[in-house]
Amino acid sequence: MKTLVIGEVVNNKLSIGTLEIISKVKELELDFSVITVGNSEVSNIGSDEFSNTYFKSDPSKLNLSNCSHEIKTFIDENNIKLVLSNSSYIGRDIIAFLSVDYKTSPVSNVINFEINNNEVTTTNSINGGECEYKATLKSDINLILIRPKSFDQTEINLNDNCEEKDVNVNENTLDVFDKHIEEKSGPQLEDSKIVISAGRGMVDVSNLSLIEELASKLNAAIGGTRAIVDAGWMPYSNQVGQTGKTVKPDVYIACGISGATQHQVGMKDSKFIIAINKDEEAPIFQISDLGIIGDTLSVIPKLNENL
Amino acid sequence: MKIAVCAKQIPDPANPIEYLNGNVIRPEEQVLDDTDRYGIEVALLLKEKYDAEVTVISMTKIGTEKGIQQALQMGPDKALVLEDDLLVGSNSLMTSNVLSELAKKVDADIVIFGTESTDGYAGVVPQQVSRILDIPCISYVKNIEIDSDVILTRQTIDGYEKVKLPDKCVISVTASGVEPRYPNFKDIMAAKNKEVNVISTNDIDFNIEQNMNFVEIKDISNSKQGEKITDEGEAYQLIIDKLKEIKAI
Repeated sequence: MKTLVIGEVVNNKLSIGTLEIISKVKELELDFSVITVGNSEVSNIGSDEFSNTYFKSDPSKLNLSNCSHEIKTFIDENNIKLVLSNSSYIGRDIIAFLSVDYKTSPVSNVINFEINNNEVTTTNSINGGECEYKATLKSDINLILIRPKSFDQTEINLNDNCEEKDVNVNENTLDVFDKHIEEKSGPQLEDSKIVISAGRGMVDVSNLSLIEELASKLNAAIGGTRAIVDAGWMPYSNQVGQTGKTVKPDVYIACGISGATQHQVGMKDSKFIIAINKDEEAPIFQISDLGIIGDTLSVIPKLNENL
Repeated sequence: MKIAVCAKQIPDPANPIEYLNGNVIRPEEQVLDDTDRYGIEVALLLKEKYDAEVTVISMTKIGTEKGIQQALQMGPDKALVLEDDLLVGSNSLMTSNVLSELAKKVDADIVIFGTESTDGYAGVVPQQVSRILDIPCISYVKNIEIDSDVILTRQTIDGYEKVKLPDKCVISVTASGVEPRYPNFKDIMAAKNKEVNVISTNDIDFNIEQNMNFVEIKDISNSKQGEKITDEGEAYQLIIDKLKEIKAI
């Protein structure tokens, strides 16, 4: 089944989610090519193992709509039957646009898929990750959005063997007059072995310095719940959960997080979960390997002192 | 300016979700998805700026319409609801087709959504509607600045970008940036007298087109029987011991 992976660029490289999907289609030995969508300068997004075309838009334009028209031309010309993308900002927009063109509903939140006798079966995560939904697809062209961290990333040899194509604009293109890239320092959330996350139980933004100290001692990345991101304590890029990032570290330390379903969706597959919370009934304890009932503001300083 | 703002009625999230043949079992009484309150707030801010007419549009199974009332209580002028049990189990594209028809019926210039629903969270319907209506799409809006122009800030994969509100577009709003207003008693009473126009699938151009064959739903909720202790001042040591035991440090 001819397959297209729609990739995206973060910090001038292929995103981790894109590499995870490429790893999976390699493992399944599918006949695949890659289109990467972005608007920045890139390096090392090509490969000798597969063809990658960089569909580059002008950074001063919001142009995913016309970009998807040009992707459709590629799909038609190459007789592609399966299109995979990350459940990210770019992936969702592009796949949604294509779904209207092809008159087929996309499958969202997919965590696994298989192909038998030219039939695609998907497993997706529903009900905040508490259930798995399995279905077979019956469209001519199947459009699938993959949740991050669904597949392990394997070794992919990247180089500059990548064709670049400028994406034109159309009447639905909008001008972007201010574009801001968030600079991130320290270990990245998605690939750190230890993640320490903060919730409302940290009480005040000034207490996040405790988390920062602990993170630097453990070489960990820092995350947060939607509540504290909404409160402006952390940038959105640190948000873990349904509308934020999905992480799967070796150790996840939840500090003052009650563990609403929307948060659990983004972290429950972590290998070892430590939770510190005052409320004995907090849902986070149902999924933690080690639960400390106590004040996170008194436990963390002691950890910092003794590590 | 005419604005359509989408509101989804969902089963009360306080209760566990149950499924039948792969579909969420929806009770008679459903509530407004909290996610939609952010979209409604943006619609109301635009109403204040442009004196726009705001219509709540929704598709739902037949029921009490509590969620529609909750949406109207915040301040929209009226509602257009497509109520039909034929719609149970609609996929995202069927939903988008219906909502696009409703947006056309109210002659909307701007169509506003939350980013994704709480019960289904596919997160593709706003973009699909923009494609069907063939107007620009501004997805993942996280802030709105209203001055002489209206400036929308949208989340991107590595930061954010700002665009000016065009004459016609679809907007999806994330759960941040705006603070949804709480209706007071007067708002709640006023909502009862607002026009709610209920139509069925017979009133629109609609055909059912499922593209998935349901196989099974498996419960994978993994309740762990982890160790749980009350901190009496020494819990930090237990954490350090554990981190060593699993070779994290």
